[in-house]
Amino acid sequence: MTVTVARTPVDRRPALRPWLGTAARLGLATVWLVAGATKVGDLAASGRAVVAYQVMPYDVATVIGAALPFVELALGVILLLGLATRLAAGVSAALLVVFVAGIASAWSRGLAIDCGCFGSGGQLAAGQSPSYLPEILRDLGFLALAGFLLSWPRTPFSVDGWLAGEPPVEDEDD
Amino acid sequence: MTSRKGQRDAARVVRQQLAREKRRRRTLWASVAAVAVLVIAGLIGWSVWSGQRADEFTAPKGANDAGTGIVLGSGPVTIDLYEDYLCPACQQFQQVSGATIDQLVSEGKARVVFHPVAYLNRYSTTDYSTRSSAAAGCAAEGGRFKEFTDRLFERQPREGGAGLSDDELIEIGAGLGLDRDDFGSCVREGRFKPWTERVTEDASRSGVTGTPTIKVDGKNVEDRSPEGIKAAVAAAGR
Repeated sequence: MTVTVARTPVDRRPALRPWLGTAARLGLATVWLVAGATKVGDLAASGRAVVAYQVMPYDVATVIGAALPFVELALGVILLLGLATRLAAGVSAALLVVFVAGIASAWSRGLAIDCGCFGSGGQLAAGQSPSYLPEILRDLGFLALAGFLLSWPRTPFSVDGWLAGEPPVEDEDD
Repeated sequence: MTSRKGQRDAARVVRQQLAREKRRRRTLWASVAAVAVLVIAGLIGWSVWSGQRADEFTAPKGANDAGTGIVLGSGPVTIDLYEDYLCPACQQFQQVSGATIDQLVSEGKARVVFHPVAYLNRYSTTDYSTRSSAAAGCAAEGGRFKEFTDRLFERQPREGGAGLSDDELIEIGAGLGLDRDDFGSCVREGRFKPWTERVTEDASRSGVTGTPTIKVDGKNVEDRSPEGIKAAVAAAGR
């Protein structure tokens, strides 16, 4: 009973939040699409970027390096469509946490590598210094987008919204 | 009145529960679909990459037994050089320490195994790293690997462009005395591209994550100056 009371038209969510949600969803989608697109053209190089972290055996790292760009692209498309947004946001958050952990671990072990987040990757040339802190801060920003969508996954212009249909119709003569 | 209101409420609750159930099922299927898309995408990546890997390759003349690099000289100490023809730091290394290495080879103190890896394909619009490495394979087949390598570093194109064209590579080879027809067709058909892939993968597997990487008897040399390399060779030869 209390559920029906809480869903009266007066008690709508703040008008701005759903649109912020759409912005976050499209923003995160763009991040993944760009990240995937810059790596997908050279899968061997993507594998080398993973190998450079030195946290996995060579063969595992190369397979992950080859699969990752495609997963990133798929995640981008799913978010763009707004399909299973909460799940996609959860997967995004999990991936980002892994990336941040990887960069932090490379940093703490004193490796001099490029994170390979958007293409490139691998060991840096002599004289180049790694930029771990900006990379981590950037990923934390993306993580905030994912967190917003985890909390409020329902956004306008999404497959989720279309699947759910209109909000439940209240009694007409009440 | 109250009972009719009660009935209406009950009916509404049932309707809402049904609607909620339906929504739950749709959400579930949407999640299943999303997970399936992600898993399939990963598998596609894996299979595309497996398909790209060359399983058969022919090493050019002058390659080491494993076929992963071209051997120069026959000294007791082995210097492994992993370089990409597009890599500016490699060009710099060749300018600074190339003569020293040549001298160590000619004095019979060391043999060089040069691995022309294709790490930087992303930094040209035409996969110049792979094309130049495969062309170097063609030059090795004609016995001009060292000369060709030196010329490619002298004429290194900038990163981000198209690199030297196949015609330009052929021109360089012909200028070094390679047969224009044989060398030209070898470059044009990319005869040694599978070899380049093999060289590159072997380098990754041996822990080479960037270019240039210099190893003396299997050990990484951090100091790439002429003195650093002489010292490393002297230490290994002891």
